[in-house]
Amino acid sequence: MSLSRLPRLVRTASFGLAVLYAAVLAVSVIIIGAIVYWALEISLERQTTERIDADIGLLKEELRAEGDSELIEEVQRRSDVLGLEYLLLDAKGTRIAGTMPVLSPALGWSTVELSTNRSGAGSSRTLHIHSVELDNGMRLSVADDYGSIEDMRRAWIEAAGWCLIAFLLLSVAGGLLLSRRFLRRVDTIRITAESIIRGDLESRIPLHGTNDNFDRLSLTLNQMLDRIQALMEGLRYMSNHIAHALRTPLGRLQQKLEAARKTALGNPSYETALENMQQEMEGILSTFSALLRISKIEAGARQSGFSEVDLSALLTTVCDAYSAAAEERGKVIGADIAPSLWTLGDKELLTEAMANLFDNAIKHTPAGAHISVSLYRDRSSIVASIADDGLGVPPETRDLIFERFYRLDRSANTEGTGLGLAFVAAVAGLHGSELSASDNSPGLRIELRFDVAKPPNMLPTALLRAYKADRVRYGHPSPHLEKHPSQRPQRKPVRLPI
Amino acid sequence: MRVLFIEDDLETANYVVDGLRRSGHVADHAADGQDGLLRGLSGCYEIIIVDRMLPTLDGLRIVKTLRSAGVDAPVLFLTALAEIDDRVEGLEGGGDDYLTKPFAFSELMARISVLGRRPRMTTVETILRVADLEMDLIARRVRRGGAIINLQPREFQLLEYLMRNAGRVVTRTMLLEKVWEFHFDPKTKIVESQISRLRAKLAKDSQPELIHTVRGFGYVIKPPS
Repeated sequence: MSLSRLPRLVRTASFGLAVLYAAVLAVSVIIIGAIVYWALEISLERQTTERIDADIGLLKEELRAEGDSELIEEVQRRSDVLGLEYLLLDAKGTRIAGTMPVLSPALGWSTVELSTNRSGAGSSRTLHIHSVELDNGMRLSVADDYGSIEDMRRAWIEAAGWCLIAFLLLSVAGGLLLSRRFLRRVDTIRITAESIIRGDLESRIPLHGTNDNFDRLSLTLNQMLDRIQALMEGLRYMSNHIAHALRTPLGRLQQKLEAARKTALGNPSYETALENMQQEMEGILSTFSALLRISKIEAGARQSGFSEVDLSALLTTVCDAYSAAAEERGKVIGADIAPSLWTLGDKELLTEAMANLFDNAIKHTPAGAHISVSLYRDRSSIVASIADDGLGVPPETRDLIFERFYRLDRSANTEGTGLGLAFVAAVAGLHGSELSASDNSPGLRIELRFDVAKPPNMLPTALLRAYKADRVRYGHPSPHLEKHPSQRPQRKPVRLPI
Repeated sequence: MRVLFIEDDLETANYVVDGLRRSGHVADHAADGQDGLLRGLSGCYEIIIVDRMLPTLDGLRIVKTLRSAGVDAPVLFLTALAEIDDRVEGLEGGGDDYLTKPFAFSELMARISVLGRRPRMTTVETILRVADLEMDLIARRVRRGGAIINLQPREFQLLEYLMRNAGRVVTRTMLLEKVWEFHFDPKTKIVESQISRLRAKLAKDSQPELIHTVRGFGYVIKPPS
């Protein structure tokens, strides 16, 4: 367990519970300990009393059987041998025998405290004394030193203290251990959730087969994930199907229009009408293709086609391609592209995304606008930016421009499908790069930031699983579903013959 | 030209075959992969058009088999979606060009006419000529009527492609693919703009136009009529 994990461990609910449990147990232990202690003390005191009484009984018996002298002798003997203290006084209160340091104890039970050394400093002793009048007028006192009970009490408290400390340590350790187990299972759930967020919809929480609360929770979550996946796949399946199903008849319609246009030659109004219809048809078809492609890119299925891409060369090519068109519309493109900046990515998609940004800048700026393109390295990222000095986009709608079909009111009459920037956003997402729109004061600046240090995350195994699921669900081959990338050969640059 | 069209969608097939015949080609149709392969193996076609998705035998397999059997007629793939990987797979599998469905017949015709002359390209051309326009591919120099014309690299590539296919219509899409390597619709009229720049350079001394626009379709370079 690393130190950095410790605070997190301590913060878990299970650890809190363990601490609470330990505290409750500790209180119980203290109470039980007190009861035991109390009982023990009572029993010790009773033992002392009984011992003293038994001794007195014995000595009385001695007196009755043997007489005074024998009693005195016996007391003397006992004082030398046993742990008890004795005192035998005559009727006048003079010591006849015994070593008890108390001179005239009261009759019956009494407790006398006395200091052991004369100066009064140091430890004191407590004597538990029983004094009785004997038949011959003498007074016999037998005492026991309470010190032994005190010692036992001290030893007991000490032992109980150590036990309590050990007990607390054990319960905290147990709590930590429990929370670690708890954490490990929570972590597997978190890891699964994270991989799903990254696009691996096939990921599931592993079960332990114990059918405990965790297993049941995991099972429920897995079932929920199954359901979500089924819904998502259903949606993808449906939209692909709609687009695919409509593309075929629309394609035929396009062919028919083309054929009709040939026969309409010579009738200018028909010809124009058919030409317009054909253009509309192309627009519809290209919108469908754009939609299908965006959803495919968003599905993340193309990352396996990634290779090292020279962003500088790519941006230069696109910039060059659009400069003539921009000039024709009275706009100037200024480029400041740092050489040899490479990133891992899909060359064709990046080219198209960049092209869309140029197209956007050219279409949505007034004549005379200046469009500046730059590519530079900023610490661990490469930034491609396209900025214009046109009318810009109001701050509140700046994030909306990357949504599908979103168009600014003033662009309603500009040609375009409203999917160009959505495509850029999808490509940016695929590359794990950050796309942002900001104020160029005046105008709009769109920035695409590629994190060079962090390659896009997508596990090929996850893709393979997703592909297998597709094949099971839809059968294969299916024209409308993307092939699994791992089945495709690695793309090599192919130059078409000129 | 004898054309073999392997396609399972009958409506598209009829439309294309009919169109090809009208344009003076001899066109045969095969409705599934096996039939297509058998016909293709006969070796009597000058161009083969294959759909990627076919029943019984897919287009890529057919072309690979044809190529290994020594059939070297140019092959044009038809793909359902503009999928880069499908396209590259097709070209690596022995295809010469591809076209995304749905397509305009005129686009298909333009590609067929460009593909149909490819076998003769085995002789290495170093100088391309159209009327008084001359392109030296080795010196990378262009002259018109003896005067040197300075072209940007992209303009040179564009003119080269047009001149290699002199007399044949090339479409906007073909130019985008072959000159810019853009396999998508750039939306802005970048081809048109580049062509008008090129035209301006070629006709500096107000010589007659060589690059002709075929309306709503493409361009052709040919001597002035």
